[in-house]
Amino acid sequence: MSPQLTLQAPVALPPPELTDYLEKLWSQDLESASGASTFTLLVWQPAWVEQHLVRTGRLDGPVTGVVRTELLEAAREAVLTCDLPLSISPLSPKLAWALGQQSGDHAIEDLRGQHIDAAISAFQPRRLITLAPTLNHGQPLETLVAAYCPLPGEGTTAACGDVVVLRGDFGALQQGLQLLQPLVPADLPCWVWWNGSLDEAPELLEALAEPGRRLVIDTALGTPRRCLDLLESCVGSGQPVNDLNWLRQRAWRESLAMVFDPPSRRDALNHVVQLDIDVEGTHPVQGLLLAAWLADRLGWHWVESNAAAEEGISAEFERNDGIPVQFHLTPVPVGVPSSHPGSVVGLRLICQPPGSQPLCVILCSESGGCMRLEAGGMARMELAEEVVPMAHATDEWEMARLLGGGHDSTNPLLAAAAPLAAKLLPNA
Amino acid sequence: MTVTLTNPLRVGLRQERVVSPQCLVIFGASGDLTSRKLVPALFELFRQRRLPTEFAVLGCARRPWSDEEFRGHMAEALGDLIHEHRGAWDQFAAGLFYEPVDLQQPEHLVRLAQRLEVIDRHRATRNNRTFYLSVSPKFYGSGCSALAAAGLLSDPERSRVVIEKPFGRDYGSAQELNRIVQTSAKESQVFRIDHYLGKETVQNILVLRFANTIFEPIWNRNYIASVEITAAETVGVEERAGYYESSGALRDMVQNHLTQMLALTTMEAPGRFDAEAIRNEKAKVLQSARLADELEPWNCCVRGQYGPGGTARRPLTGYRQEPGVNPNSTTETYVAMKLFIDNWRWQGVPFYLRTGKRLPKRMSEVVLTFREAPVHLFDAAGGSPTANQLILRIQPDEGAGFRFEVKSPGSGMRSRPVDMHFSYDESFGEPSDEGYVRLLADAMLGDPTLFTRGDEVEAAWRLYTPLLELIEDSPWQLPVHPYEARTWGPAAADNLLGRDGLMWRRP
Repeated sequence: MSPQLTLQAPVALPPPELTDYLEKLWSQDLESASGASTFTLLVWQPAWVEQHLVRTGRLDGPVTGVVRTELLEAAREAVLTCDLPLSISPLSPKLAWALGQQSGDHAIEDLRGQHIDAAISAFQPRRLITLAPTLNHGQPLETLVAAYCPLPGEGTTAACGDVVVLRGDFGALQQGLQLLQPLVPADLPCWVWWNGSLDEAPELLEALAEPGRRLVIDTALGTPRRCLDLLESCVGSGQPVNDLNWLRQRAWRESLAMVFDPPSRRDALNHVVQLDIDVEGTHPVQGLLLAAWLADRLGWHWVESNAAAEEGISAEFERNDGIPVQFHLTPVPVGVPSSHPGSVVGLRLICQPPGSQPLCVILCSESGGCMRLEAGGMARMELAEEVVPMAHATDEWEMARLLGGGHDSTNPLLAAAAPLAAKLLPNA
Repeated sequence: MTVTLTNPLRVGLRQERVVSPQCLVIFGASGDLTSRKLVPALFELFRQRRLPTEFAVLGCARRPWSDEEFRGHMAEALGDLIHEHRGAWDQFAAGLFYEPVDLQQPEHLVRLAQRLEVIDRHRATRNNRTFYLSVSPKFYGSGCSALAAAGLLSDPERSRVVIEKPFGRDYGSAQELNRIVQTSAKESQVFRIDHYLGKETVQNILVLRFANTIFEPIWNRNYIASVEITAAETVGVEERAGYYESSGALRDMVQNHLTQMLALTTMEAPGRFDAEAIRNEKAKVLQSARLADELEPWNCCVRGQYGPGGTARRPLTGYRQEPGVNPNSTTETYVAMKLFIDNWRWQGVPFYLRTGKRLPKRMSEVVLTFREAPVHLFDAAGGSPTANQLILRIQPDEGAGFRFEVKSPGSGMRSRPVDMHFSYDESFGEPSDEGYVRLLADAMLGDPTLFTRGDEVEAAWRLYTPLLELIEDSPWQLPVHPYEARTWGPAAADNLLGRDGLMWRRP
């Protein structure tokens, strides 16, 4: 639970009264407390898998939208009972869909938007608005409001915020959009966290991601084409966009850069001839973003992409000196998939500097090991091998890092990689 | 000269925090520090995308410049850097403003407050202000009082004040200045700057000590025989004769930069990595530090002053011949001293500090010399085995080195010392930021970790009080020894270590 003090139990209000109530709350009830001059965080929080798991009795409630161990365990068990492939990620939309076909009517205590992760509440959001779509079709719009102040720490003063939850089915939330505009303080930055699949409710996503708002998406959730096209279009239109899938890949970029920090190795980067990336399961986006980042940094030009065997992808780049670089992305089945589909689990880079020994760089994940990439005749090469630490950060922690960073534009590395990654994905 | 290729994979990997919307107000904006350090550092932050669009710089000084004139002067000072990044400069310069202000004139502060309100409206800086006092030290106290009287420091969440060194001239004046400053603002609003703390290598002392398990168990009197801290400059007094004549090396370098290096090298591990925990430990260790002989300080301190030197083709003038310097000046340009720290970790370990101008080499380093092996089993090539040394190079060639004995090749079993080197330049594919980049960003983010707290500054001044009193009351007891320019200081400084059977490291 988060280090926050709810000044009042969340109050359910008729939607038309919401704005007036908040105004009164700050002008009268909280007159002595100062409102945090920070940001608004608008969260699309469907938590479909969690809702279905609770509805079907596989998980005890309440539904909070926060990923916890019990939720992942219940989801992994559900993958088995739903007869889905083992490599399906426990929070995959495919699992949500499969669970949706199963019967169950356990009551759902819905606390979405009221559990704020400690990492996020530490940054004292001025207003946290959660859009919580429900499973029940026809559920009308409900609005809940609560004020909160962080527990005062040493030397800090209470700067308070409020929590607003809009709950209902898709249609109701669509109607509720008109309430949102006056709820977002115009003078503070607004972050929009689309914490769900990018395939769902595209019109709602478009409405939330107004120009100037800082959009946070996860390109591990949704069909790869939709994820990359959306990312590319955001970059193209100048919408500030952050991708949790890109952020989770941080350790791979850092580890690869570290390999080439010694000056004696740097020249080898001009002579790369082959790049192989292994990803967990069949979602290629993280792997493609990593390849695109590398290609952008090394000035390679994309030539062509093709679908390869077993849902893999092969592509060709051309270096500045005209030499081709072969790229292969290979999906690797895993027994216990992580909660993020398509995580990179291995990378191999082969460099052939003229007149010196070829260099083979292998990065592998702590979970997967390097054996698969070590195969294939590297005996005559200088081998540089690193184990990339597993990312243990939760999405909420990554989100908190973004909020703390405060960037109001897209990371230039992501902006450069996104269009290239979209090209790398072969059209179906 | 070897040219190192940059590592293209390093570019842009760092994602640092963005400063919150605010207006940075620089007092003394027509001065050298603003054009040489502050504005270049701000422009660097801008290019690193660490300044938000809701940001402004308001330069203040007595000169009747306009906004455009201020921008022009800054552009001139940045020179080639602007030509390389013309588009970025144009965007950045649009947020530069100027207001003629004399901090001693209350009506000027009223006008300043009004101008800030206008900037708040136009640049959406939301009443957040950082006031940077880049003015003569004699105006620090009155400047803070004036800002407080104008109500510009009344909101501790939205306003902060950055104060340049030197903070006081001695223990008493530092106490008095602290009293004035702390009457004007809360301690959490006050950022006392020491640009040495902005250096990566100074910060690395903490990481080296507390992120590795191999160092901390031996980082104490049981294994360390002595510690040397050196900050050597090749330059003379240059344009700063007026200031330097009244400060000298002790006030200019030792009380702040060398003492900060001492504190980071000797402090206990903080309970957690936050500003207060770190500053508590630094203050504690400085409170345990003392001159090796407080009753007779002339036994543990040597002062020097550079005389003429150089070569026939490039002669160097002596300090007393420098423009603006009293021809009979007794201001020290070199100082060396021996300290002890009376706590469980460091009892009995001598700490030797030295700094000087016109020395042969520009360098700063911390050298930890370890105790010798209890038994010498092998012949040493140099007669006796060399003690292990850990060398933390602060500048230039930032990095660390470790000196240890190995077997000398051949049929016998003779040992000789070798050096193992870590270099920031070679290990990281990108250069470190200039210290002011880090410190300005931290001040505007409200992170005081790399700034000195009031009690720390007072403890540092108290440590040198016996010396300052001696210089003030009976300077003949601590004479200024002349030394030739571009040599390693007076012979008396060598004797300071020689008495303990040691020698300064010659880097």
